[in-house]
Amino acid sequence: MDKFRDCGDIKKDLRYLYTVQFWVFLVSRNANRGERKSRERERGAMAEDLVLDTAIRDWVLIPLSVVMVLIGVLRYFVSKLMRSAQIPDAKLVKEGQVIVRARNLRAAANFIPPKSFRARRLYYSNEENGLLYVPKGQAPNAQAQMFSDPNMAMDMMKKNLSMIIPQTLTFAWVNFFFSGFVAAKIPFPLTQRFRAMLQNGIDLSTVDVSYVSSRSWYFLNLFGLRGLFSIILGEENATDDTQRMMQMTGFGFDPTKSLGAEKDGLDIVQHDWTMPKFERRAEAVLRKLVR
Amino acid sequence: MAVHDESETSGRKESEEIDVPIFSAENMQSNMKVIYYSRTFMSIIGGVIAGILGFTGLTGFVIYFLVMAITSIGLIAKTGFSIHSYFTGWSQIILDGFLGGLMSFVLFWTFAYDIVHIF
Repeated sequence: MDKFRDCGDIKKDLRYLYTVQFWVFLVSRNANRGERKSRERERGAMAEDLVLDTAIRDWVLIPLSVVMVLIGVLRYFVSKLMRSAQIPDAKLVKEGQVIVRARNLRAAANFIPPKSFRARRLYYSNEENGLLYVPKGQAPNAQAQMFSDPNMAMDMMKKNLSMIIPQTLTFAWVNFFFSGFVAAKIPFPLTQRFRAMLQNGIDLSTVDVSYVSSRSWYFLNLFGLRGLFSIILGEENATDDTQRMMQMTGFGFDPTKSLGAEKDGLDIVQHDWTMPKFERRAEAVLRKLVR
Repeated sequence: MAVHDESETSGRKESEEIDVPIFSAENMQSNMKVIYYSRTFMSIIGGVIAGILGFTGLTGFVIYFLVMAITSIGLIAKTGFSIHSYFTGWSQIILDGFLGGLMSFVLFWTFAYDIVHIF
C-alpha cells in the first residue's frame, strides 16, 4: 500500500477555493434572486409599475457605482505616479518658451513704443537668425523624428492603455455577473428604439423601456461620474475624453508648424501706440478728482 | 470642496475711451473654473433632490433648468452684480457649462429615484 500523502497543502488550497466560490456564489445568488422576483411580478402584473427586489439595489447599483468611483481614483493616482518619471525634452521646452514670449509680445504690442516693438519683432522673425524662422527643409525631419521617438510612442501607449483597460475590464465584469435582469428604472420615458440598447439582458418585450439592465447603468455611471471626479480630484484629470490626449500628442509632434504660425501672427500685427490715449485718460480722471 | 475657494478674482481693467481690454488670463481661467465647479456641484445636488421628490419625465428636466438658473443667479449675486469686472459678458456667466452637468444630473436623479421609489 502506498503511504498516505501529506494533506496539509491541499487543505490550504481547498480553503482558498471555497472562499472564492463562496463570494461568487453570494453575488450570483443575490443577482438571481432579484431576477426571479422581478420576473414573477412582471408576469403577474403587466402594468407600468414593477417592484424590484431590494437585493438589486444593495448588490448591483451601489457596488457598481462604488467600484467605478474607486477605479477612477486609482487610475488618477497611477497616472500621476507614472507621469512623474518623465523628463521633458530640453529642446521642446525651449521652443515652447519662445512661442510663449512671441505670443506675449503680440498681445502687449500696443504698450511699448513703435521702435522697440519693431526691434523685438525683427529679433523674432529675422530671416537669418530669428528665433521663429525655420527653413523649409527641416520641418518634415522634425516630425519624422517625433514619430519614431520611442519614448513618445511608449508614453502614448501607456496613456491609452491606462484608460482603456479599466473600462474594458469593468465592462466585462458587469456583463458577466450582472446580466439578465432589470437593474434600474430611468425616471424619464424613452422611445422604443432605445430598447435594444438599454435592455439587452431582458428578453421580455412588454416591459417598459424605462426599466434598464445593468449594462446601461454602467454607461450612465461612466458619463455621469466625470463631473464628480472633477470635484473630488481637483484639477482636470485623465478620466475625461481622449480629446485631450490627442491634443497633447499633437503639440509634441509639430512644433515647427506652431513656430511658423507665431511668426505669421507677429508679422500681421499693426502697431497702435496707446500711450497718448492713456495720457488723455489720466487727464480726464484727474479732472474728475479735482472737481 | 476643499480644493478651491469660492472667491472670484477680478482681473479685468478697461479704459473708458478706447477699447483696449486688458485681461489677466490666469484670473479669467480661475473664474471659469469656479463657474464649472459650482454648476457641477449644483447639478449633482439637483439630481438628488429631483430623485427624492419623485419627479419623472419632463418635470425632471424642468428641475434641471431651474437649478441651473438658480446657480446663475447665485453667481451673479456673488460678483456683486458687476459682471464686467469679472467676465467678458453675460453669455459667459449664464450660458457657460449649462449642459455640462446634464449627465451627472441624470445619473444622480436615477440613483435617488430608484433608491427611494422603486426599491
